[in-house]
Amino acid sequence: MAAILWCVLVSKEQFFLHKVEDLSVFLFDRMFLAERLTIPGGFLGLAGSFLTQFLYLPWLGALLWVVLLLAAYQASIRVFSIPESYRALALIPVALLIIGNMSLGYGVFIMRTQDHFFVPVLGYLVSFIPLSATKRLKTLWSKLVFLVLWNVTGFPLFGAFALIGTIVSACYISVQSDLPSKERLALSVTALLSVAVVPMALYSAYTSYRLADSWIMGLPSISEDGWTHAMRAPFQLALLSQILLASASGIMSAKPLKGLIKDFVTYTSYIASIAIICVFWYKDDNFHTELEMSYAVDQFDWNRTINIYQKAVDRHIKSDRKAYDARCRKIVQAHSTQEISDIVDRYSSRFFEPTRTMVMYRDLALLKTDRALNEAFTMKDGSRMQNSRTQIPMAWQSGKQFYLQYGLVNMCYRWCLEDVIEHNWSYSTLRYMVMHSVIMQEPELAEKYIRKLESTIFYRKWARQQRALKSDREAMAASQPYKSILPYMCFDNHMSNDMIKTEAYLINHFMDVEPESATPEYDRAALLIAMRIQDISRFWERVRYYLNSNQVQSIPRSVQEAALLYSSLTKDGRQLPYDDEVTKSYDEFNRYVQSHAICSMKESAYPYSLRFGKTFYYYYYFMRDLKTY
Amino acid sequence: MKHCITISAILALTVSCTGIPKNTVPSDSVPSIFPDYTDVVIPANIAPLNFKIEEKGKKYVTVITGGSERAVISGQKVRIPQRKWEKIKKRGLIGIEVFVMNDKDQWISYRPTSISVSDDEIDPYISYRIIPVAVEAYQELSIRQRNLTDFDEKVVFANTMIQTNADGACINCHSYKDYSTDNMLFHVRQFKGGTVMVLDGKLHKINMKTDSTLSAGVYPSWHPTHEYIALSNNRTHQSVHSASHDKLEVLDDISDLILYDIKTNTVSVIENDSCELENYPNWSADGRKLYYVSYRYEGDYGDKRKNEMFLARETFKFNLYSKSFEPDTKTWGPARLEFDAAARDSSITWPRVSPDGRWLLACISTHGVFPLDQIVSDFIMFDLKNGTYRYVDEINSQYAESFHSWSSNGKWLMFSTRREDGVHTRLYFSHMDENGRFSKPFALPQHDPDFNREFLYAFNIPEFMKEPIHITPRQFASFISSTDAIPAKYESKRGE
Repeated sequence: MAAILWCVLVSKEQFFLHKVEDLSVFLFDRMFLAERLTIPGGFLGLAGSFLTQFLYLPWLGALLWVVLLLAAYQASIRVFSIPESYRALALIPVALLIIGNMSLGYGVFIMRTQDHFFVPVLGYLVSFIPLSATKRLKTLWSKLVFLVLWNVTGFPLFGAFALIGTIVSACYISVQSDLPSKERLALSVTALLSVAVVPMALYSAYTSYRLADSWIMGLPSISEDGWTHAMRAPFQLALLSQILLASASGIMSAKPLKGLIKDFVTYTSYIASIAIICVFWYKDDNFHTELEMSYAVDQFDWNRTINIYQKAVDRHIKSDRKAYDARCRKIVQAHSTQEISDIVDRYSSRFFEPTRTMVMYRDLALLKTDRALNEAFTMKDGSRMQNSRTQIPMAWQSGKQFYLQYGLVNMCYRWCLEDVIEHNWSYSTLRYMVMHSVIMQEPELAEKYIRKLESTIFYRKWARQQRALKSDREAMAASQPYKSILPYMCFDNHMSNDMIKTEAYLINHFMDVEPESATPEYDRAALLIAMRIQDISRFWERVRYYLNSNQVQSIPRSVQEAALLYSSLTKDGRQLPYDDEVTKSYDEFNRYVQSHAICSMKESAYPYSLRFGKTFYYYYYFMRDLKTY
Repeated sequence: MKHCITISAILALTVSCTGIPKNTVPSDSVPSIFPDYTDVVIPANIAPLNFKIEEKGKKYVTVITGGSERAVISGQKVRIPQRKWEKIKKRGLIGIEVFVMNDKDQWISYRPTSISVSDDEIDPYISYRIIPVAVEAYQELSIRQRNLTDFDEKVVFANTMIQTNADGACINCHSYKDYSTDNMLFHVRQFKGGTVMVLDGKLHKINMKTDSTLSAGVYPSWHPTHEYIALSNNRTHQSVHSASHDKLEVLDDISDLILYDIKTNTVSVIENDSCELENYPNWSADGRKLYYVSYRYEGDYGDKRKNEMFLARETFKFNLYSKSFEPDTKTWGPARLEFDAAARDSSITWPRVSPDGRWLLACISTHGVFPLDQIVSDFIMFDLKNGTYRYVDEINSQYAESFHSWSSNGKWLMFSTRREDGVHTRLYFSHMDENGRFSKPFALPQHDPDFNREFLYAFNIPEFMKEPIHITPRQFASFISSTDAIPAKYESKRGE
């Protein structure tokens, strides 16, 4: 099972693992280490962050995690002395630990603790320490003193996990019939009292949290209140299972199972564990595509970014067809237009639709490869909401990437700073801060962040490369990603605030800001956005700028399509030269519309997309009311 | 192996038994060190000035002398033992000699440099806010106090001690009456909000917002002789520069001045002209005059006011004003223009009068009210005795100088500056002689010389204190969490 888990992680979740790593940080830096130790559980957090860095190589990070999960399973069996007939029960908390991480989904972008991936399993293992130590001690007094000392020293190092270990010990001891009842009572009461008192007593040594939060220090934390319970539930259930196993250890030792009951318990535990993993594992395809595209964008691998998008679209061709056929069958049986409308709404989620982040990554990549005006409207579009408990603003998820790549470098820096405060430092933030400072040629500031990345294992080399560019404008301008960002920085400084709406901000920026000497790249992006927002007057304005700055041999096909459509709609006489193919396809579109009445845009979108999905006409008529985030 | 041993033996011979290299090659240049403590003037009661040698080399030896006392320290990071430092600095002049072994295994001896120790002591404690560099978020803020005679730093209070995920709390503007911590205040905004005041050692929480005033109090100034505090009222906004080395623009679309009477728990208006943006009150040493800055803005009070103000930001030139004040009767005189910064195409902010009342130091920049976030903001100093002023070029750097604080004897200046990297504010000190000339500024000493480079937070609102704050963080947290702010009453203005 461990091998299967590892294979699934490496083959299906490598970009999720990479994102977990990207949003964490471990620095071989005394200040970083000291700062992390200023909260209870800081040592465990450091250990978690240390291990998280190896997710940079997903196979290695996943291997470490799987080994720790195996260790957790073995520790349960050994420390609780679980007889062979009950051993499958120990799989359930492990399944919960797995799902604690793998059900996170978009929550990964708003985790406040950078160590959340490894800390629960490490904490789970730590919580066995007091019990295994107590079992080795002979006298009552030594056990009592140890339990109190464990809390006093364990709480600063391991936080709540140290306290849970004490509770587990108390539960285990209280059911051990071979111990005198007075001893059991004394140990259990002492353990529980010290769990209540020690965090309060030690609170004066800390200034980083509320007294009321003392008993949850060290647990993973998320910045959205609405997610806290859902995020922690698997871990809390795993720890609860551990307590239950400890409490039931006496019965399990006394009455080993046999025969059918043994088989029943064993198979039920297996099935329950597998069911927990299969049901709660976050499998959203758009999310995984976004992660993969995000990785490619961070590598400035634009062709790969486009390919990932196209593959995601292609993956759904069959399922879209099936959804359409199923919908048609239902519609045939419908009796009223209202009923049809309801069916269309009901089936809409079965059709593939990309998120705005996917579309924006794709457009960015198309612009960077100068393919946007030919290809952006030949690809499927949409604005599917995140399949998420709460909508994570694009600013948190990908704002830094878009702002940097579109030349809004101060806005990129701003979101790095906000991210640090809301969600702590990360490799990602440090890298974008370096790139901001390098492109702005602020060497002292760049050096600050470069030094931090220099004290990492996997980003050291990259950081040193940036040092060579931080005060060498020519070298910077000749190297990626700066070479492809600088053309977008042709506008004059102005004041702005994105109000956490990244796409809307970019639209306003490219539509409202008119640089005196715009670069061809800037004008291409502005024209693409003018086409996206379906604003006819802005389109003509931006076409004019585009044709002035870009020496084009032939006008891109989508631009011709838009011009032909708009000129026929407004009949204002504004025209471009059109290719024969474009006029033919427009005529065909018009003929098709006349012969295939559109009942509702939603209903007709799919059949029209099969014929005209690669044209601007389709985008104009069927991709209306797209939401921005 | 033999070869290595031979080289080591030769190297050993080039270093005397005292650890000081012999047979050195002299260099004409002063060694580059960080922080730059060469030729500075320091108080006798300051912590060791640890520094790092910035010259490239294989080995480093530093000799620090004071009279007959001497410390020989090896290594690139020079950490001076506290006991030795105490003995060395007694002599009034500290000599620094740096030896660096180069790639050719030659010891280079750099030109000796020195540090002067002033007879003027500095207040032993300072406090400041540690703040992440950011725009809107404020997850972790703390007010901390530092013992200047060593490296001991303690948290006074942190917002993390009271806030939750859903309810954030901002803390700001800590301030003391006459450098004493028995009477102090700081503001808590939003969750559990109010002005936390320590009055004769006892905790109080006040809500200074009344129906007749704009907001709760913001930038405070304690009256030197009476139980009053002058504060600004501000409605502050921030916006991001899209393509500039300036990152952020901060402005108030409305601001006024109020007077808080501690004894009666009343708030009265000092200035609230709807077309004036009054800010940064500061009392004269005798408490009979209040200095402040203001800019006249006559834009509409509609929804677009804020955006229009951001567009017009470069035209905001604040001038320095004063109002006379009769403390016994709380009577105000009319506003008087003290310095027409606008006429010099500049904006003046943060006026602060020295304890002896002779000097007024302020920030001057091209525009606006928040010099901290501008690339260039310098100090300007007024001699209130003869009415002259000058730009304090001996302190000003290429980046922003902003909040500043006079020591209680008026001999030392502590100020915030972004001189190290343009973004992260750091604390620097400078000694002022009897003619109002400042010595070369030096950075707040840290145990690790790389601290300022490594630390990713900013220092903010540095204030001198004669003594440490005795209330513990836990006491502050418990009080703030459990106490509702007492509303201040409104009182009509007197005078004019």
